[in-house]
Amino acid sequence: MSPTAAPAPPLAPEIADPRLYLDGIPHERFAQIRAMPGLGWHAYGDNGFWAVTRHADVREVSRNPAVFSSSIGHTNLWDLEADALEARRSLIDTDAPDHTRLRRMVAGAFTPKNIRRWTDTVREITVELLDEFEARGGGDWVELVAAPLPIRVILAMLGVPVADADYLVELSNYLVEGTGDTQSIPPDAFGNTTELRLLPFNSPASHALFEYGEDIRAKRRAEPRDDLVTHLVRAEADGGRISRHEYRHLFHLLVFAGNETTRTAISHGAMALAANRDQWQRVLDDRALVESATEEVIRWATPILHMRRTAASDCELAGTPIAAGDKVVMWYASANRDEAAFADPFRFDAGRADGEHFAFGGGGPHLCLGAFLARLEVSVLLEEMAARRLVLEQLGEPVRAASNFVHGVLSVDMAPAAGSSGGPR
Amino acid sequence: MSADSVRMAVDSQRCIGGGQCEMLEPEVFLVDDDEAVSSVIGSGVLPRARADVVVHRCPGAAVSIVGPES
Repeated sequence: MSPTAAPAPPLAPEIADPRLYLDGIPHERFAQIRAMPGLGWHAYGDNGFWAVTRHADVREVSRNPAVFSSSIGHTNLWDLEADALEARRSLIDTDAPDHTRLRRMVAGAFTPKNIRRWTDTVREITVELLDEFEARGGGDWVELVAAPLPIRVILAMLGVPVADADYLVELSNYLVEGTGDTQSIPPDAFGNTTELRLLPFNSPASHALFEYGEDIRAKRRAEPRDDLVTHLVRAEADGGRISRHEYRHLFHLLVFAGNETTRTAISHGAMALAANRDQWQRVLDDRALVESATEEVIRWATPILHMRRTAASDCELAGTPIAAGDKVVMWYASANRDEAAFADPFRFDAGRADGEHFAFGGGGPHLCLGAFLARLEVSVLLEEMAARRLVLEQLGEPVRAASNFVHGVLSVDMAPAAGSSGGPR
Repeated sequence: MSADSVRMAVDSQRCIGGGQCEMLEPEVFLVDDDEAVSSVIGSGVLPRARADVVVHRCPGAAVSIVGPES
């Protein structure tokens, strides 16, 4: 080794294998990486990445998009061939100025003021779902509450018939499978004829979702309404402010991100409330804690485990030299348990007031578009559970998704606890 | 406001319409419905500490402090 050569970077333990996540986030491994000097290197076959695991470092990457690009390579762990990257490019995989233009196309619908207008709709759906959950004496929380609530809300915003909610949840489940190692549907499912490598999540379900989006687009072109799809159709007609490709991918993203992530938050939130009854009791005793409890549920759940950036130029992060073209992966799952950012980070604290969690991203321009919608859905759910004094009891272990990208829960049985609303007396 | 108050501004080219400013300080910032660009409303003045939080949280690095209150 020449005297000027950089020392070999510390090697990160295995954190990329999707099967690891069947037992939950490998928090001990992330703690090991956080304690390393600089960044950890993960070989990932022969296509390695820098593991960014500390809260402050995630923020640094997130807020420097000129250096840490979203449009080069891919935003997931693996690289895509150039044609696949173009075919799959969505809002997620863009930098300014394309990102700014596309984001502003839809951002107006997701501002705090405009999201508050959906409060009554969210509350009606929530009450209906909780009534059904209690009437049945419990059941699979994902199927009965966590999945239907966000999909119904995003479909209402998009202007899609609520009758199609189950179909779109089914497609979404197949997309999550696509982030793991195995897919349960054949490549030609849903009449797909596109090579899977050209489809988001390598999934034929993406083809089905594109087709669905095209169908709604045609209907709104013929008969405009006051909804988000009509808004996008107008933007397309209005001097091509949005391309056909961009529409397809934006629709896909809104349906997937609008239901999968909040579903995950509500699933982990229910497990956290069942496991930490003292914290739920605090909320029952003081409804002013709903706001902080909502943020804590979202931090606790961290529905999206990581996002990747690619270095556009040589740079340095946490004292580690990074070469142009290197993959830099922000592990939100780790940042949200960073002892340097949160007091006692593994404690679920309904009144937590420290730190900005990174469940919506690390604070840069790709900050979750639906953050205020997610907050509204979780907070209304907590309010309505508290209003009826529903206390949850978890029955058995959850079935988790084999994914290093989505912190997914496929099912988890819950019941109203003894003495609780809807529970045995 | 006090001597520690500062005047805020939004760079409309950088703004992504993320709404963090409106969430934190609804009296001072509002994101436009159509263009999804934030702008300063009302007095545009905040106590220094709260101004720093908005600057820190702005995802597009579009919010800045332009000077003292007056």
